[in-house]
This record gives sequence, structure tokens and C-alpha cells, in this order.
Amino acid sequence: MPSTASGRLSRFWQKNGAGYMFLLPWLIGFLGLTLGPTLASFYLSFTDYDLLTSPRWSGLKNYEYAFLYDRRLGNAIEVTFTYVLWSVPLKLAVALGLAMVLDRSVRGVSFYRATFYLPSLLGASVAIAVLWRQLFGADGLVNQLLFMVTGIQGPAWVTHPDYALSTLIVLAIWQFGSPMIIFLAGLRQVPQDLYEAASMDGASGWRQFRKITLPLLAPVIFFNLVLQTIEAFKAFTQAYIVSGGTGGPVDSTLFYSLYLYEEAFANFRMGYASALAWLLLVIIAIFTAIAFGTSKYWVYYEDESR
Amino acid sequence: MTIKLNRRAFGGLLGSTIAASALAGHRAFAQSGGNVRLIWWGNPERDKRTNAVVDQYIAATGAKVTPETYAWGDYWQKLATQAAGGNLPDVIQMDYRFIFEYARRGQLAALDEFVGNELELDDFDPNQMESGRVDGKLYGVSMGANSMTHVYNKTMLDKIGFELPDSTKWTADDYVAIGRELKDQLPEGVYFSENMGIQEPRLQTWVRSRGKDLYNADGQLAFDVEDMVDYFEYWKMMQDEGLTPPADLQAQDSGKMEERMHVIGRSLFGFIHSNQLVANQNLMEDEIEIVMIPNAGDQPGQYLKPSMFLSMSENASDKSAAAQLLNYFITNPDANDILLIERGVTGDASIRERILPGLTETEQKIIKYLDLVSTWVGPLPPPPPQNAGEIDRALRPAWESVAFGQVDAKTGATEFYENAKRILERS
Repeated sequence: MPSTASGRLSRFWQKNGAGYMFLLPWLIGFLGLTLGPTLASFYLSFTDYDLLTSPRWSGLKNYEYAFLYDRRLGNAIEVTFTYVLWSVPLKLAVALGLAMVLDRSVRGVSFYRATFYLPSLLGASVAIAVLWRQLFGADGLVNQLLFMVTGIQGPAWVTHPDYALSTLIVLAIWQFGSPMIIFLAGLRQVPQDLYEAASMDGASGWRQFRKITLPLLAPVIFFNLVLQTIEAFKAFTQAYIVSGGTGGPVDSTLFYSLYLYEEAFANFRMGYASALAWLLLVIIAIFTAIAFGTSKYWVYYEDESR
Repeated sequence: MTIKLNRRAFGGLLGSTIAASALAGHRAFAQSGGNVRLIWWGNPERDKRTNAVVDQYIAATGAKVTPETYAWGDYWQKLATQAAGGNLPDVIQMDYRFIFEYARRGQLAALDEFVGNELELDDFDPNQMESGRVDGKLYGVSMGANSMTHVYNKTMLDKIGFELPDSTKWTADDYVAIGRELKDQLPEGVYFSENMGIQEPRLQTWVRSRGKDLYNADGQLAFDVEDMVDYFEYWKMMQDEGLTPPADLQAQDSGKMEERMHVIGRSLFGFIHSNQLVANQNLMEDEIEIVMIPNAGDQPGQYLKPSMFLSMSENASDKSAAAQLLNYFITNPDANDILLIERGVTGDASIRERILPGLTETEQKIIKYLDLVSTWVGPLPPPPPQNAGEIDRALRPAWESVAFGQVDAKTGATEFYENAKRILERS
């Protein structure tokens, strides 16, 4: 049969149609709501735009300022990287550990699962951030407990430059729920007979974990890693609320997205903020590319033949 | 800068004798079909009063009004976004810091054509009216006058039994001396004063008492780096002596009223604007009182300023209806029975005369305070330059790096000063 255009199309639909149908809700949202503003922000990143008057073309000036002169941006990048590099591995470790505990047939496991997931449901919300600010404040619950147990009067954790970022990292780790659920699903996929065979051969629990669980879970770990890294780079609400919108003290919680927001909506530099947004996209893309690039050395897919 | 800045007379409106102009007629309102959107920044107390006036207006006129309110910090972001979308509300609460910017960029409607028609401003103090003019045209009607102030916990001070000196005459050094005297008599965990290192208006009174200002009419810094160094060294010394809270406790105040040190009971003194006294008092059990900033010098540090304006959007769909709502807030007796002086002391003589006798004790304090201030007050400064808000925000990390001991006061002050100059150049 000659391969006609319509034939190719119908074969394409046969193969991919269902996939595109599932993608449709997202696709409509992307094309209808996100795409336009995204393209507009790319244009705006080459302009001076203060919201009140029309944008004026300024070429590469915004990017030049970001790369060469903006000291606060350098600080914001450092804060954000510190946050990502600490919070993502720790969060994944906690999520995996709890998933493995819950994977055993404990009584009432669904109750625990729901309970552990709860912080993630509330996690990025304003209410939790407000709660965090109270908990770790000078007269907060954490310091009251600390004083009762040790007699030490703790600092105001959220507003001390040495500790403020750490409290945000703890907040991020506490929201381990969604990677935990994904890990749980992954663990269910690991064939039990592998463990049985391993214990017959006398392999210890730790060895089983390293040689069976980790390799078979690698695709799920990879998925969680990429997702959580992107999330962490975009973190905003926590820092905004916990620092009272200032990124303080002394800019120690000035996340990239918080700085971007401040430039756009407080300093009315919408053009410059657009440039910052595109730089963030590039940074995230580089990290994701590194993850994908190295994945072939450590991620093993079961349907792959090697 | 073409506007007239000789506004010393602005204080005159608060002279305690108010000419009686009792016969102020108020016209009935024309019906209008259009929906008028009203936006303001505020606090729970202001929201309650403003919403009550909106309800009253709707009941009285049958007009439609959609109110919208935000906290100060979110307000300007919201407003700029709406301006960018061509979607500004019709009647807008405006600040002296921003009215020039919005007016000159064609976002606000000149109100002159409504004066004498929808806007009945015959009784309105001409000096206070002048403060709402940009390039000769009226872009906002002042909702009241206020001034900076030191607030203190009167209950606490009375318990100690300490008598404050005449606040028109006290100096920054007196303030320290009093702090040292009171330090050991204050309850556990209470500090003499909030640390005002990050308070831009406090810095302004500091440099003004030295005959300078934050900005000149050309939008350049109008004080010297030495002034800045003195300012940071002063507050660092206060912190080091334990007269103000340690840096991490002070940093918990992100600018919200309910986080201020004197409101949460951790300091005797604090810095506010006079019209905020009512809202502050509502948050506290102890009685508070306001006095002048301890800045007696060659020149007065303080000035009387329009607390806020009501302006109209250039894109208002029904400008006549918007002007009527604006007028209701400024001149209607029933409305002002509710609003009272929460937004500052009104410039409308007949309204002022009507509401003064019925004011609460707390509100009377504000009137008395503004009378006191008007005896030792400088002219209204020129409007701040475009990036003044950014410099105000940059003061916080600069001061905090000094407060947390990352740099010494001199370095921190010099860096801030250079940074402020860079920010001004960047606009």
C-alpha cells in the first residue's frame, strides 16, 4: 500500500491518539493560558517596562545588568542553590525511608500514609508558612520546648541570618509526602521473589537495599529528583511569608523567585524581572539536562535489555 | 519641579481655633447606574469603617459600589498590575509618594472640572488641597493630615512613675539618657525602645533636624554619608547597650502593625504615624500615648503631611459617578461620623467642627498632638523620586547587616549610601 499522507495521519492517531487525549486538559491550559504570557515575557525581557508606561526596547541591557552588575542577584542565586542542594536530597531520603517503613504490612498503614501525606497537602500554603513563623519565632513553641528541656534560651530562628534558611529547608523536608507516595508505588513494583532469593543467599538487609531496592527504584528516584529540583528552584511562598515578604534577615532567605517578584511588582522593573525569569528557566534546564545526561549511568529500566 | 513647595502654611489648618462655617450645604446625590470600583489600603479598623460608609452610600443613593482592600505592602503591586491591564478601579486611595508618578503617567484624572460640581470643596482647607496638585492640576483630595510620632506605653511608664520632658525640646541624646535611667526599672523582656535603624521616616526626621532632607526637588540624595553613619552608629549603640531589642527579635517586625515591638509588649517606645494611633491602641490592652520625635536641633525634623488622597482613574467609565463617591467620603457628614479621623484630620472645616466634640479619648490625643507638632514643624518635602520605595526597602538589609554584626556601622552606612545613589541612577 502506498504511504499516503492520510494513511500516515491515521497511523499516527492509532499509535498516539489516546496519549494526546490524556494530555488534552494540560494542552488546552498551556495553549490557552500559559503560552501567550510566556512569549510576551520573552519579548519583555528585552525592554524597559514599568507597568505604567508602554515597554521600550532596550536590547540586551537587562541581561547585561544581570550578568555584570546585579549583586543582589548573585546573593539570591547562592541562597537558592544552598536551598536546592540541601532540601532536595534530604527530602528524598526521608521520603524513601518512610516509604520503605510503610511498605511493610503494618496495621493501619493507610492511616499512616494519609497522615504523613498531610503536610504536603498543606505544605506550600500560606497558613503553614505563617505557622512556621510562629513556631520558630523568638517566643515560639520550639524555643519554649528548648528552654524546658535544656534551659537554653534559643534565638529567633526565622529572623536570624545564621538560621533562617535552615528553617526553610526543614519546612521543605517536612513536605516529603508526594515523593513518598511515588516511592511507595515504586516499591510495590519490585518483585518480591528477588528479596526471597537474596535472603536465601544470606544477603543482609542493607545489601538487599543497595543491590535490589535502589537499582530497581532508580527510575522512580530519577523522576522524583527532577521534579523536586524544579520545585525547589521555584520555591516562593515559604520564603515570602516566613520572611514577611522581605527575604530577610540581611537577604538570607532572598530566593531567586522572591527577588524576581520584588523586582517586578515592588520595584516595577517588569522587563528586568522577565529577563530574570528566563535566566531561571535556563538554570533549571541545565540542572535537568545534567540529571538526564547522567541518568544512563545509574538509572535502569526493567524493559531495557542490556 | 513646577509645583509650589511653600507649604509651611499646611500646618495652619490645624490651628486649634477653627473658623465656624456652619452653613455648609450638601446637595442630594444624582442617581447613577454605573458601578464604581473603590480601592484602598488599610487595616481591619479602616476596612470596617470604609465598608460601613460604602453600605451607607449605596443605601442613600442606590448607586453600585464594589470595594476592594489590601494591606499597604500588597496594595502597590496590585495597583500597578491593574494599571498595566488598563483596569484601575475608579476611585483610588493614593499616597504622596506615588501620586506624582501615577498622575504624570496619565493614569489619574484631573479633578478640577468636578470642583464646584460633583466635588463640593468650598469648606476645604486650601493648603491641604494644594498638596494634591501635580503640575498645577488637582489629582487627589487629601483625606487628612498626619505626622510622624514616637508612641509609648503610658500604662507601663505610669507604673514606673516617670515624667517625660517636653517633647518639643527633647533631643536624641535625651532619649538615650532616659533609656539608661529606665532600663533597670522595665519589666523582664521589655526594652526601652524599638530599634528604628530600618525606619526611613525616622531617618528623614534625623537628617531634617540637621537642615537637610532625604531627597531634593531634583530627586537626588539631600543628606551626607556622615549623617547616615551617625544614624546607624546611634542605633547600634542603643542595641549594644540593651536599650533596644537584640537584632533577631527586632527582625521579627516585618512592618505589620501587629508585629511592632511596642504592640507585642516588648518595648516601651516605638515609631508610628499619628493617624495609626487608633489602630495601634485597638491592638493593645495598655494605654498608649504619642509625643514628638526626640530630634530638637537647629531645624524642625517633622512636617505635617497629607496622610493619603482619594484620586480618580483616568479610565473611570463613569467619571461623574466616581466623583460623587469621592465627594461623599470627603464632605458627607454621616460618612465622616463613621470615618472620623482614622485616615488623618480632615481639611473640611465644617466636617472637622462636627466630628471633633464626639471623638474618643484616643482620637483627641491625635488632634492635640498635631496641634503640638504644628508649633515646631518644617515644610512638606518635595515628592520623593521614583525609586524611593526601593531605597526604603534597601534600608532593611543594610541596617540588619549592621545589627547582626556582619559589618560595622560605618561600613554599613557607607554601603547603603552608595547603594541608594546607584538605585537613583538606575531609574
